[in-house]
Amino acid sequence: MSEIHMPIPVGTTVVVERTDETMEEMYVNMGPQHPSTHGVLRLMLKLDGEYITDCVPYVGYLHRCHEKIGENRNYTQVIPYTDRLDYLASMSMNFGYVLAVERLMGLAVPPRAEYMRVILAELQRIASHLIWLGTFGLDLGNFTIFIYCFREREMVLDLFEAVSGQRLNYSFYRIGGMAMDFPETWIEDCRRFLEWFKPRLPEYDALMTDNILFQKRVQGVGILPARTAVDYAASGPMLRGSGIAWDLRRNDPYSVYDRFEFDLPVYDSCDVWARYLVRRQEMAQSVRIVEQALAQLPAGEIQAKVPKTIKPPAGQVYARTESPRGELGFYLISDGSPKPYRYKVRSPAFVNLSVLPEMLKGCLVADCVAVLGSVDIVLGEVDR
Amino acid sequence: MTPEEILGQLQQRFGPAITEAEVKGVEVRATVKPEVAWDVCRFFRDAGFEYLNCLSGADWTTHLEVVYDLSSLQQTPKAHLRVPVNRDTPTIRTVTDIWPAANWHERECYDLFGVRFDSHPDHRRILLPEDWVGYPLRKDYADERMVPYTEYGMEEKLAKAEGEKPAVKAVPRPAPVQPAPPPTPAPEPREPS
Repeated sequence: MSEIHMPIPVGTTVVVERTDETMEEMYVNMGPQHPSTHGVLRLMLKLDGEYITDCVPYVGYLHRCHEKIGENRNYTQVIPYTDRLDYLASMSMNFGYVLAVERLMGLAVPPRAEYMRVILAELQRIASHLIWLGTFGLDLGNFTIFIYCFREREMVLDLFEAVSGQRLNYSFYRIGGMAMDFPETWIEDCRRFLEWFKPRLPEYDALMTDNILFQKRVQGVGILPARTAVDYAASGPMLRGSGIAWDLRRNDPYSVYDRFEFDLPVYDSCDVWARYLVRRQEMAQSVRIVEQALAQLPAGEIQAKVPKTIKPPAGQVYARTESPRGELGFYLISDGSPKPYRYKVRSPAFVNLSVLPEMLKGCLVADCVAVLGSVDIVLGEVDR
Repeated sequence: MTPEEILGQLQQRFGPAITEAEVKGVEVRATVKPEVAWDVCRFFRDAGFEYLNCLSGADWTTHLEVVYDLSSLQQTPKAHLRVPVNRDTPTIRTVTDIWPAANWHERECYDLFGVRFDSHPDHRRILLPEDWVGYPLRKDYADERMVPYTEYGMEEKLAKAEGEKPAVKAVPRPAPVQPAPPPTPAPEPREPS
Protein backbone atom coordinates (compact mmCIF):
# COMPACT_ATOMS: atom_id res chain seq x y z
CA MET A 1 0.00 0.00 0.00
CA SER A 2 2.16 2.88 -1.27
CA GLU A 3 -0.53 5.51 -0.52
CA ILE A 4 -0.23 5.10 3.18
CA HIS A 5 2.55 7.73 3.50
CA MET A 6 0.75 10.57 1.71
CA PRO A 7 -0.94 13.26 3.85
CA ILE A 8 -4.68 12.71 4.17
CA PRO A 9 -6.80 15.74 3.16
CA VAL A 10 -9.05 17.08 5.86
CA GLY A 11 -12.52 15.57 5.77
CA THR A 12 -11.61 12.40 3.94
CA THR A 13 -13.15 9.26 5.29
CA VAL A 14 -10.41 6.70 5.55
CA VAL A 15 -11.18 3.03 5.53
CA VAL A 16 -8.45 0.98 7.11
CA GLU A 17 -8.65 -2.31 5.37
CA ARG A 18 -7.44 -4.50 8.12
CA THR A 19 -9.95 -3.67 10.80
CA ASP A 20 -12.62 -2.04 8.60
CA GLU A 21 -12.91 1.05 10.84
CA THR A 22 -13.81 4.57 9.65
CA MET A 23 -12.43 7.73 11.19
CA GLU A 24 -15.10 10.03 12.53
CA GLU A 25 -15.02 13.53 13.84
CA MET A 26 -14.27 13.93 17.49
CA TYR A 27 -15.26 16.77 19.79
CA VAL A 28 -12.67 18.06 22.20
CA ASN A 29 -13.53 20.68 24.75
CA MET A 30 -10.96 23.31 25.66
CA GLY A 31 -11.84 25.45 28.64
CA PRO A 32 -13.42 27.34 30.25
CA GLN A 33 -10.78 26.50 32.82
CA HIS A 34 -7.57 26.18 30.90
CA PRO A 35 -4.19 27.76 31.45
CA SER A 36 -3.83 28.82 27.84
CA THR A 37 -7.18 30.31 26.98
CA HIS A 38 -6.17 33.51 28.77
CA GLY A 39 -9.33 33.71 30.74
CA VAL A 40 -12.61 31.90 30.89
CA LEU A 41 -13.07 30.94 27.29
CA ARG A 42 -14.53 27.69 26.11
CA LEU A 43 -13.56 26.36 22.71
CA MET A 44 -15.32 23.36 21.29
CA LEU A 45 -12.95 21.84 18.78
CA LYS A 46 -14.07 19.39 16.15
CA LEU A 47 -11.20 17.19 15.24
CA ASP A 48 -10.60 14.88 12.35
CA GLY A 49 -7.65 13.00 13.71
CA GLU A 50 -5.32 15.82 14.67
CA TYR A 51 -6.71 18.40 12.28
CA ILE A 52 -9.24 20.93 13.50
CA THR A 53 -12.25 20.99 11.21
CA ASP A 54 -14.23 23.54 13.15
CA CYS A 55 -14.10 25.50 16.35
CA VAL A 56 -17.07 26.90 18.23
CA PRO A 57 -16.12 29.49 20.84
CA TYR A 58 -18.40 29.92 23.83
CA VAL A 59 -18.03 33.25 25.56
CA GLY A 60 -19.95 34.96 28.31
CA TYR A 61 -18.35 33.37 31.34
CA LEU A 62 -17.11 36.78 32.45
CA HIS A 63 -20.21 38.78 31.52
CA ARG A 64 -20.69 41.37 34.24
CA CYS A 65 -23.55 43.45 32.81
CA HIS A 66 -21.18 46.32 32.05
CA GLU A 67 -23.50 48.04 29.61
CA LYS A 68 -26.54 47.81 31.85
CA ILE A 69 -24.56 49.19 34.77
CA GLY A 70 -23.35 52.03 32.58
CA GLU A 71 -26.94 53.10 32.03
CA ASN A 72 -27.37 53.59 35.76
CA ARG A 73 -24.28 55.62 36.53
CA ASN A 74 -23.13 59.17 35.89
CA TYR A 75 -20.78 59.68 33.01
CA THR A 76 -17.91 60.08 35.46
CA GLN A 77 -18.94 57.08 37.52
CA VAL A 78 -18.63 54.87 34.45
CA ILE A 79 -14.87 55.49 34.21
CA PRO A 80 -13.86 52.94 36.89
CA TYR A 81 -16.02 50.37 35.12
CA THR A 82 -14.17 50.95 31.87
CA ASP A 83 -10.93 50.08 33.67
CA ARG A 84 -12.23 46.62 34.26
CA LEU A 85 -13.16 45.97 30.65
CA ASP A 86 -9.71 45.19 29.37
CA TYR A 87 -7.99 45.14 32.71
CA LEU A 88 -4.56 44.76 31.12
CA ALA A 89 -4.95 48.05 29.23
CA SER A 90 -7.01 50.19 31.56
CA MET A 91 -5.51 53.47 30.38
CA SER A 92 -6.60 52.70 26.83
CA MET A 93 -10.12 51.85 27.94
CA ASN A 94 -10.36 55.09 29.90
CA PHE A 95 -9.01 56.98 26.90
CA GLY A 96 -11.59 55.56 24.52
CA TYR A 97 -14.46 56.31 26.86
CA VAL A 98 -13.59 59.88 27.80
CA LEU A 99 -12.89 60.61 24.15
CA ALA A 100 -16.40 59.48 23.27
CA VAL A 101 -18.01 61.62 25.96
CA GLU A 102 -15.93 64.65 24.98
CA ARG A 103 -16.93 64.22 21.34
CA LEU A 104 -20.55 64.08 22.43
CA MET A 105 -20.11 67.28 24.41
CA GLY A 106 -17.88 69.02 21.91
CA LEU A 107 -15.33 69.54 24.68
CA ALA A 108 -11.76 70.64 24.01
CA VAL A 109 -9.09 69.16 26.22
CA PRO A 110 -6.05 71.22 27.33
CA PRO A 111 -2.84 70.38 25.43
CA ARG A 112 -0.94 69.14 28.45
CA ALA A 113 -3.71 66.67 29.19
CA GLU A 114 -3.66 65.48 25.57
CA TYR A 115 0.05 64.76 25.76
CA MET A 116 -0.34 63.06 29.12
CA ARG A 117 -3.02 60.87 27.61
CA VAL A 118 -0.80 59.80 24.75
CA ILE A 119 2.17 59.13 27.02
CA LEU A 120 0.13 56.96 29.37
CA ALA A 121 -1.69 55.19 26.55
CA GLU A 122 1.56 54.28 24.81
CA LEU A 123 3.16 53.12 28.05
CA GLN A 124 0.03 51.05 28.53
CA ARG A 125 0.48 49.62 25.06
CA ILE A 126 4.00 48.58 26.02
CA ALA A 127 2.75 46.98 29.24
CA SER A 128 -0.08 45.17 27.48
CA HIS A 129 2.21 43.83 24.76
CA LEU A 130 4.67 42.72 27.42
CA ILE A 131 1.99 40.61 29.05
CA TRP A 132 0.96 39.30 25.68
CA LEU A 133 4.55 38.42 24.79
CA GLY A 134 5.24 36.81 28.14
CA THR A 135 2.10 34.67 28.20
CA PHE A 136 2.39 33.79 24.54
CA GLY A 137 5.90 32.53 25.09
CA LEU A 138 4.82 30.71 28.22
CA ASP A 139 2.05 28.93 26.32
CA LEU A 140 4.59 27.72 23.81
CA GLY A 141 7.01 26.58 26.49
CA ASN A 142 9.36 29.55 26.87
CA PHE A 143 9.45 30.23 30.59
CA THR A 144 12.27 32.80 30.54
CA ILE A 145 10.48 35.35 28.35
CA PHE A 146 7.59 35.30 30.81
CA ILE A 147 9.80 36.39 33.69
CA TYR A 148 11.67 38.96 31.61
CA CYS A 149 8.48 40.58 30.29
CA PHE A 150 6.89 40.76 33.69
CA ARG A 151 10.02 42.36 35.10
CA GLU A 152 9.72 45.19 32.58
CA ARG A 153 6.01 45.38 33.11
CA GLU A 154 6.60 45.87 36.83
CA MET A 155 8.57 49.01 35.98
CA VAL A 156 5.69 50.35 33.91
CA LEU A 157 3.32 49.52 36.72
CA ASP A 158 5.59 51.39 39.14
CA LEU A 159 5.33 54.43 36.87
CA PHE A 160 1.57 54.09 36.78
CA GLU A 161 1.42 53.68 40.51
CA ALA A 162 3.45 56.86 40.97
CA VAL A 163 1.09 58.81 38.75
CA SER A 164 -2.30 57.40 39.70
CA GLY A 165 -1.86 55.46 42.91
CA GLN A 166 -2.89 52.18 41.29
CA ARG A 167 -1.00 49.30 39.75
CA LEU A 168 -4.04 48.22 37.71
CA ASN A 169 -7.46 49.75 37.04
CA TYR A 170 -6.20 53.32 37.22
CA SER A 171 -9.38 55.38 36.49
CA PHE A 172 -6.96 58.15 35.73
CA TYR A 173 -8.61 59.85 32.78
CA ARG A 174 -11.41 62.31 33.38
CA ILE A 175 -13.92 63.86 31.06
CA GLY A 176 -12.08 66.96 29.95
CA GLY A 177 -8.59 66.03 31.06
CA MET A 178 -6.76 63.99 33.63
CA ALA A 179 -7.25 63.39 37.33
CA MET A 180 -3.84 64.62 38.44
CA ASP A 181 -0.62 65.92 37.03
CA PHE A 182 2.63 63.97 36.84
CA PRO A 183 4.49 63.84 40.16
CA GLU A 184 7.80 65.69 40.45
CA THR A 185 10.32 63.12 39.30
CA TRP A 186 7.98 61.13 37.06
CA ILE A 187 9.27 62.39 33.73
CA GLU A 188 12.89 61.54 34.59
CA ASP A 189 11.74 58.13 35.89
CA CYS A 190 9.87 57.54 32.67
CA ARG A 191 12.94 58.44 30.61
CA ARG A 192 15.06 56.14 32.74
CA PHE A 193 12.58 53.34 32.14
CA LEU A 194 12.74 53.89 28.38
CA GLU A 195 16.54 53.81 28.47
CA TRP A 196 16.40 50.55 30.39
CA PHE A 197 13.73 49.13 28.08
CA LYS A 198 15.32 49.82 24.70
CA PRO A 199 18.11 47.20 25.08
CA ARG A 200 15.59 44.68 26.40
CA LEU A 201 13.85 44.35 23.06
CA PRO A 202 16.90 42.69 21.44
CA GLU A 203 16.94 40.34 24.44
CA TYR A 204 13.39 39.30 23.65
CA ASP A 205 14.46 38.81 20.06
CA ALA A 206 17.24 36.49 21.17
CA LEU A 207 14.76 34.47 23.21
CA MET A 208 11.85 34.37 20.78
CA THR A 209 12.14 36.08 17.41
CA ASP A 210 15.52 34.55 16.52
CA ASN A 211 14.67 31.23 18.08
CA ILE A 212 14.32 28.61 15.37
CA LEU A 213 12.08 26.48 17.57
CA PHE A 214 9.65 29.35 18.00
CA GLN A 215 9.76 30.23 14.32
CA LYS A 216 8.96 26.70 13.30
CA ARG A 217 5.96 26.68 15.58
CA VAL A 218 4.38 29.90 14.41
CA GLN A 219 5.30 30.35 10.77
CA GLY A 220 2.56 29.30 8.38
CA VAL A 221 0.10 28.66 11.18
CA GLY A 222 -3.27 30.30 11.69
CA ILE A 223 -3.60 31.97 8.32
CA LEU A 224 -5.98 34.95 8.26
CA PRO A 225 -6.35 36.21 4.69
CA ALA A 226 -6.75 39.96 4.33
CA ARG A 227 -10.18 39.61 2.77
CA THR A 228 -11.44 37.55 5.71
CA ALA A 229 -9.90 39.94 8.20
CA VAL A 230 -11.80 42.88 6.73
CA ASP A 231 -15.03 40.90 6.33
CA TYR A 232 -14.94 39.91 9.97
CA ALA A 233 -13.98 43.48 11.01
CA ALA A 234 -10.79 42.32 12.69
CA SER A 235 -8.67 45.18 13.89
CA GLY A 236 -5.31 46.09 15.30
CA PRO A 237 -2.47 43.60 14.87
CA MET A 238 -4.86 41.14 13.21
CA LEU A 239 -5.19 43.52 10.27
CA ARG A 240 -1.58 44.64 10.25
CA GLY A 241 -0.41 41.03 10.34
CA SER A 242 -2.44 40.37 7.21
CA GLY A 243 -0.85 43.09 5.17
CA ILE A 244 -3.41 45.84 5.73
CA ALA A 245 -1.76 49.07 6.81
CA TRP A 246 -4.56 50.33 9.04
CA ASP A 247 -4.00 51.92 12.40
CA LEU A 248 -6.47 54.39 13.86
CA ARG A 249 -3.63 56.47 15.25
CA ARG A 250 -2.46 56.99 11.69
CA ASN A 251 -5.59 56.66 9.52
CA ASP A 252 -8.20 58.30 11.73
CA PRO A 253 -6.05 60.24 14.21
CA TYR A 254 -7.51 61.29 17.52
CA SER A 255 -6.04 63.32 20.34
CA VAL A 256 -2.54 64.51 19.33
CA TYR A 257 -1.32 61.39 17.57
CA ASP A 258 -0.87 63.27 14.32
CA ARG A 259 2.07 65.17 15.84
CA PHE A 260 4.29 62.15 16.32
CA GLU A 261 6.47 60.26 13.93
CA PHE A 262 6.19 56.54 14.19
CA ASP A 263 6.29 53.62 11.81
CA LEU A 264 3.49 51.19 11.25
CA PRO A 265 4.67 47.59 11.36
CA VAL A 266 2.79 45.68 8.66
CA TYR A 267 3.58 42.14 7.59
CA ASP A 268 2.16 40.16 4.71
CA SER A 269 2.34 36.55 5.74
CA CYS A 270 -1.07 36.56 7.50
CA ASP A 271 0.09 33.99 10.05
CA VAL A 272 0.85 33.92 13.75
CA TRP A 273 4.44 34.91 12.98
CA ALA A 274 3.25 38.13 11.29
CA ARG A 275 1.03 39.09 14.23
CA TYR A 276 3.87 38.32 16.61
CA LEU A 277 6.22 40.61 14.69
CA VAL A 278 3.60 43.37 14.54
CA ARG A 279 3.24 43.46 18.30
CA ARG A 280 6.95 43.12 18.87
CA GLN A 281 7.64 46.11 16.61
CA GLU A 282 4.79 48.10 18.10
CA MET A 283 6.59 48.09 21.42
CA ALA A 284 9.56 49.79 19.82
CA GLN A 285 7.31 52.33 18.10
CA SER A 286 5.50 53.08 21.33
CA VAL A 287 8.87 53.88 22.91
CA ARG A 288 9.45 56.39 20.10
CA ILE A 289 6.07 58.00 20.64
CA VAL A 290 6.59 58.33 24.38
CA GLU A 291 9.99 59.93 23.88
CA GLN A 292 8.60 62.47 21.43
CA ALA A 293 5.64 63.20 23.67
CA LEU A 294 7.84 63.73 26.71
CA ALA A 295 9.98 66.13 24.72
CA GLN A 296 6.95 68.08 23.45
CA LEU A 297 5.00 68.03 26.72
CA PRO A 298 3.66 71.56 27.27
CA ALA A 299 3.03 73.19 30.60
CA GLY A 300 -0.45 74.14 31.63
CA GLU A 301 -3.57 72.84 33.22
CA ILE A 302 -4.67 69.26 32.94
CA GLN A 303 -8.41 69.56 33.17
CA ALA A 304 -10.84 71.61 31.13
CA LYS A 305 -13.65 73.47 32.81
CA VAL A 306 -16.57 71.08 32.99
CA PRO A 307 -19.81 71.48 34.91
CA LYS A 308 -20.10 69.59 38.17
CA THR A 309 -22.74 67.29 36.68
CA ILE A 310 -21.77 66.22 33.21
CA LYS A 311 -24.83 66.35 31.00
CA PRO A 312 -23.95 65.96 27.34
CA PRO A 313 -26.52 67.35 24.91
CA ALA A 314 -28.93 64.78 23.46
CA GLY A 315 -27.32 62.94 20.60
CA GLN A 316 -25.19 59.96 19.75
CA VAL A 317 -21.57 59.29 19.02
CA TYR A 318 -19.42 56.36 17.98
CA ALA A 319 -15.83 57.11 18.89
CA ARG A 320 -13.03 54.70 18.12
CA THR A 321 -9.48 54.50 19.42
CA GLU A 322 -6.61 52.09 18.86
CA SER A 323 -6.25 49.99 21.97
CA PRO A 324 -3.45 47.41 22.16
CA ARG A 325 -5.92 44.82 20.89
CA GLY A 326 -7.49 46.77 18.06
CA GLU A 327 -10.32 49.16 17.44
CA LEU A 328 -12.04 50.02 20.67
CA GLY A 329 -15.33 51.77 20.00
CA PHE A 330 -17.73 53.40 22.39
CA TYR A 331 -21.26 54.01 21.17
CA LEU A 332 -23.04 56.45 23.45
CA ILE A 333 -26.57 57.76 23.22
CA SER A 334 -27.31 60.70 25.45
CA ASP A 335 -30.74 62.02 26.27
CA GLY A 336 -29.50 65.13 28.06
CA SER A 337 -29.56 63.50 31.48
CA PRO A 338 -26.51 62.87 33.69
CA LYS A 339 -26.60 59.15 32.87
CA PRO A 340 -26.01 57.56 29.45
CA TYR A 341 -29.19 56.39 27.75
CA ARG A 342 -27.38 53.68 25.85
CA TYR A 343 -23.80 52.71 26.39
CA LYS A 344 -22.24 50.14 24.12
CA VAL A 345 -18.66 48.99 24.04
CA ARG A 346 -17.34 47.71 20.74
CA SER A 347 -14.66 45.44 22.07
CA PRO A 348 -11.74 44.63 19.75
CA ALA A 349 -11.12 41.26 21.38
CA PHE A 350 -14.77 40.26 20.93
CA VAL A 351 -14.67 40.93 17.21
CA ASN A 352 -11.19 39.45 16.76
CA LEU A 353 -12.27 36.29 18.55
CA SER A 354 -15.13 35.79 16.10
CA VAL A 355 -12.61 35.15 13.33
CA LEU A 356 -10.80 32.44 15.33
CA PRO A 357 -12.80 29.55 13.78
CA GLU A 358 -11.75 30.70 10.33
CA MET A 359 -8.11 30.72 11.36
CA LEU A 360 -8.24 27.35 13.06
CA LYS A 361 -9.81 25.37 10.24
CA GLY A 362 -7.19 23.06 8.88
CA CYS A 363 -4.75 23.63 11.74
CA LEU A 364 -3.36 20.89 13.88
CA VAL A 365 -4.81 20.76 17.35
CA ALA A 366 -1.33 21.41 18.74
CA ASP A 367 -1.34 24.80 17.00
CA CYS A 368 -4.57 25.88 18.60
CA VAL A 369 -2.81 27.50 21.53
CA ALA A 370 -0.43 29.43 19.30
CA VAL A 371 -3.26 30.77 17.14
CA LEU A 372 -5.39 31.70 20.13
CA GLY A 373 -2.42 33.45 21.69
CA SER A 374 -1.87 35.46 18.55
CA VAL A 375 -5.40 36.90 18.73
CA ASP A 376 -4.53 38.40 22.13
CA ILE A 377 -7.89 38.33 23.86
CA VAL A 378 -8.80 39.57 27.28
CA LEU A 379 -12.05 38.03 28.42
CA GLY A 380 -13.02 41.05 30.49
CA GLU A 381 -13.38 42.94 27.25
CA VAL A 382 -14.92 40.11 25.25
CA ASP A 383 -17.67 39.48 27.75
CA ARG A 384 -18.00 42.89 29.37
CA MET B 1 -17.41 59.64 -3.06
CA THR B 2 -18.18 62.42 -0.67
CA PRO B 3 -20.72 61.85 2.09
CA GLU B 4 -23.14 64.21 0.34
CA GLU B 5 -22.94 62.20 -2.87
CA ILE B 6 -23.57 58.98 -1.00
CA LEU B 7 -26.55 60.53 0.74
CA GLY B 8 -27.89 61.79 -2.56
CA GLN B 9 -27.64 58.37 -4.16
CA LEU B 10 -29.20 56.77 -1.13
CA GLN B 11 -32.21 59.05 -1.16
CA GLN B 12 -32.54 58.73 -4.89
CA ARG B 13 -32.65 54.96 -4.73
CA PHE B 14 -34.77 54.42 -1.66
CA GLY B 15 -36.80 57.60 -1.50
CA PRO B 16 -39.44 57.53 1.22
CA ALA B 17 -37.99 54.52 3.02
CA ILE B 18 -35.27 56.82 4.39
CA THR B 19 -37.15 58.61 7.14
CA GLU B 20 -34.28 60.84 8.28
CA ALA B 21 -30.98 61.61 6.64
CA GLU B 22 -28.17 64.07 7.19
CA VAL B 23 -24.46 64.47 6.80
CA LYS B 24 -22.54 65.30 9.96
CA GLY B 25 -18.86 65.91 9.32
CA VAL B 26 -17.72 62.90 7.32
CA GLU B 27 -20.56 60.72 8.49
CA VAL B 28 -23.74 59.90 6.61
CA ARG B 29 -26.52 59.42 9.14
CA ALA B 30 -29.80 57.86 8.09
CA THR B 31 -32.83 56.31 9.70
CA VAL B 32 -34.14 53.53 7.52
CA LYS B 33 -37.35 51.52 7.51
CA PRO B 34 -36.77 47.85 8.47
CA GLU B 35 -38.25 46.49 5.20
CA VAL B 36 -35.46 48.01 3.12
CA ALA B 37 -32.71 47.79 5.75
CA TRP B 38 -30.98 44.86 4.07
CA ASP B 39 -31.03 46.57 0.69
CA VAL B 40 -29.67 49.76 2.18
CA CYS B 41 -26.86 47.78 3.78
CA ARG B 42 -26.15 46.13 0.43
CA PHE B 43 -26.05 49.59 -1.14
CA PHE B 44 -23.51 50.78 1.41
CA ARG B 45 -21.40 47.68 0.97
CA ASP B 46 -21.33 48.25 -2.77
CA ALA B 47 -20.48 51.90 -2.18
CA GLY B 48 -17.27 50.77 -0.50
CA PHE B 49 -18.21 50.46 3.17
CA GLU B 50 -16.72 47.04 3.65
CA TYR B 51 -15.93 47.44 7.34
CA LEU B 52 -18.72 46.98 9.88
CA ASN B 53 -17.42 48.75 12.94
CA CYS B 54 -20.34 48.08 15.23
CA LEU B 55 -23.85 46.73 15.20
CA SER B 56 -25.73 47.58 18.35
CA GLY B 57 -29.24 47.76 19.67
CA ALA B 58 -31.08 50.51 21.47
CA ASP B 59 -34.34 50.57 23.36
CA TRP B 60 -36.44 53.66 22.85
CA THR B 61 -39.36 52.33 24.95
CA THR B 62 -41.80 52.83 22.06
CA HIS B 63 -39.68 50.73 19.75
CA LEU B 64 -36.34 48.98 19.55
CA GLU B 65 -33.62 50.02 17.18
CA VAL B 66 -30.75 48.31 15.41
CA VAL B 67 -27.81 50.63 14.75
CA TYR B 68 -25.10 50.01 12.16
CA ASP B 69 -21.79 51.85 12.17
CA LEU B 70 -19.93 51.42 8.90
CA SER B 71 -16.67 52.67 7.54
CA SER B 72 -14.16 51.95 4.86
CA LEU B 73 -10.44 51.27 4.95
CA GLN B 74 -10.01 53.01 1.60
CA GLN B 75 -12.08 56.17 1.89
CA THR B 76 -12.87 58.63 4.66
CA PRO B 77 -16.69 58.78 4.84
CA LYS B 78 -18.43 56.85 7.56
CA ALA B 79 -22.04 55.74 7.81
CA HIS B 80 -24.40 55.49 10.73
CA LEU B 81 -27.70 53.71 10.08
CA ARG B 82 -30.57 53.34 12.47
CA VAL B 83 -33.37 50.90 11.83
CA PRO B 84 -36.36 51.09 14.14
CA VAL B 85 -38.02 47.73 14.72
CA ASN B 86 -41.32 46.83 16.26
CA ARG B 87 -41.09 46.19 19.98
CA ASP B 88 -43.52 43.28 20.12
CA THR B 89 -42.19 41.38 17.13
CA PRO B 90 -38.69 42.73 16.65
CA THR B 91 -37.52 41.02 13.50
CA ILE B 92 -35.08 42.15 10.88
CA ARG B 93 -33.14 40.41 8.14
CA THR B 94 -29.60 39.48 9.08
CA VAL B 95 -26.69 41.18 7.37
CA THR B 96 -24.18 38.38 7.95
CA ASP B 97 -24.25 37.67 4.24
CA ILE B 98 -23.11 41.25 3.65
CA TRP B 99 -20.64 41.57 6.51
CA PRO B 100 -19.68 38.28 8.27
CA ALA B 101 -18.63 40.49 11.19
CA ALA B 102 -22.32 40.95 11.96
CA ASN B 103 -22.62 37.36 13.12
CA TRP B 104 -21.51 37.83 16.71
CA HIS B 105 -22.86 41.38 16.91
CA GLU B 106 -26.33 40.20 15.96
CA ARG B 107 -26.14 37.35 18.41
CA GLU B 108 -25.38 39.88 21.12
CA CYS B 109 -28.24 42.10 19.99
CA TYR B 110 -30.59 39.12 20.16
CA ASP B 111 -29.20 38.11 23.53
CA LEU B 112 -29.59 41.49 25.20
CA PHE B 113 -32.50 43.06 23.30
CA GLY B 114 -34.46 40.17 21.85
CA VAL B 115 -34.25 41.30 18.24
CA ARG B 116 -34.71 38.31 15.93
CA PHE B 117 -32.50 38.20 12.86
CA ASP B 118 -34.03 36.25 9.97
CA SER B 119 -31.73 33.75 8.31
CA HIS B 120 -28.98 34.23 10.84
CA PRO B 121 -26.66 31.19 10.57
CA ASP B 122 -26.18 30.75 14.31
CA HIS B 123 -29.09 32.39 16.09
CA ARG B 124 -28.45 31.81 19.77
CA ARG B 125 -27.41 33.68 22.84
CA ILE B 126 -23.78 34.60 23.17
CA LEU B 127 -23.08 36.32 26.48
CA LEU B 128 -25.82 34.98 28.70
CA PRO B 129 -26.45 31.29 29.40
CA GLU B 130 -28.64 29.50 26.85
CA ASP B 131 -31.50 29.08 29.30
CA TRP B 132 -31.74 32.75 30.34
CA VAL B 133 -35.21 34.24 30.26
CA GLY B 134 -35.64 37.83 29.21
CA TYR B 135 -33.59 40.47 27.45
CA PRO B 136 -31.63 42.47 30.03
CA LEU B 137 -30.74 45.62 28.15
CA ARG B 138 -34.38 46.45 27.53
CA LYS B 139 -35.60 49.30 29.68
CA ASP B 140 -38.48 47.28 31.09
CA TYR B 141 -36.33 44.36 32.19
CA ALA B 142 -36.89 43.55 35.84
CA ASP B 143 -35.17 40.94 37.92
CA GLU B 144 -35.46 40.19 41.62
CA ARG B 145 -31.70 40.45 41.91
CA MET B 146 -31.69 44.08 40.80
CA VAL B 147 -31.70 45.81 44.18
CA PRO B 148 -31.99 49.61 43.88
CA TYR B 149 -28.82 51.50 44.66
CA THR B 150 -29.09 53.72 47.71
CA GLU B 151 -26.28 55.90 48.89
CA TYR B 152 -24.55 54.44 51.87
CA GLY B 153 -25.80 55.95 55.11
CA MET B 154 -28.57 57.92 53.37
CA GLU B 155 -31.22 56.96 55.89
CA GLU B 156 -29.05 58.07 58.79
CA LYS B 157 -28.34 61.36 57.04
CA LEU B 158 -31.99 62.06 56.36
CA ALA B 159 -33.03 61.15 59.91
CA LYS B 160 -30.32 63.40 61.36
CA ALA B 161 -31.44 66.26 59.16
CA GLU B 162 -34.92 65.92 60.60
CA GLY B 163 -33.49 65.77 64.14
CA GLU B 164 -34.58 62.23 64.85
CA LYS B 165 -32.43 59.46 66.17
CA PRO B 166 -31.66 57.34 63.09
CA ALA B 167 -33.17 53.89 63.29
CA VAL B 168 -30.98 51.03 62.20
CA LYS B 169 -32.95 49.58 59.34
CA ALA B 170 -31.97 47.37 56.51
CA VAL B 171 -32.98 48.36 52.98
CA PRO B 172 -35.87 46.03 52.21
CA ARG B 173 -35.46 43.84 49.19
CA PRO B 174 -38.17 44.28 46.61
CA ALA B 175 -40.59 41.42 46.24
CA PRO B 176 -39.47 38.87 43.67
CA VAL B 177 -40.68 39.95 40.27
CA GLN B 178 -41.58 37.34 37.71
CA PRO B 179 -39.70 38.18 34.54
CA ALA B 180 -41.98 38.87 31.58
CA PRO B 181 -42.45 35.75 29.44
CA PRO B 182 -40.74 35.96 26.05
CA PRO B 183 -43.23 36.94 23.33
CA THR B 184 -42.48 34.01 21.02
CA PRO B 185 -40.40 30.92 21.57
CA ALA B 186 -36.78 31.44 20.64
CA PRO B 187 -35.57 29.74 17.43
CA GLU B 188 -34.14 26.23 17.78
CA PRO B 189 -30.48 26.35 18.78
CA ARG B 190 -28.37 25.10 15.92
CA GLU B 191 -26.85 21.68 16.47
CA PRO B 192 -23.07 21.66 16.07
CA SER B 193 -22.79 19.38 13.07
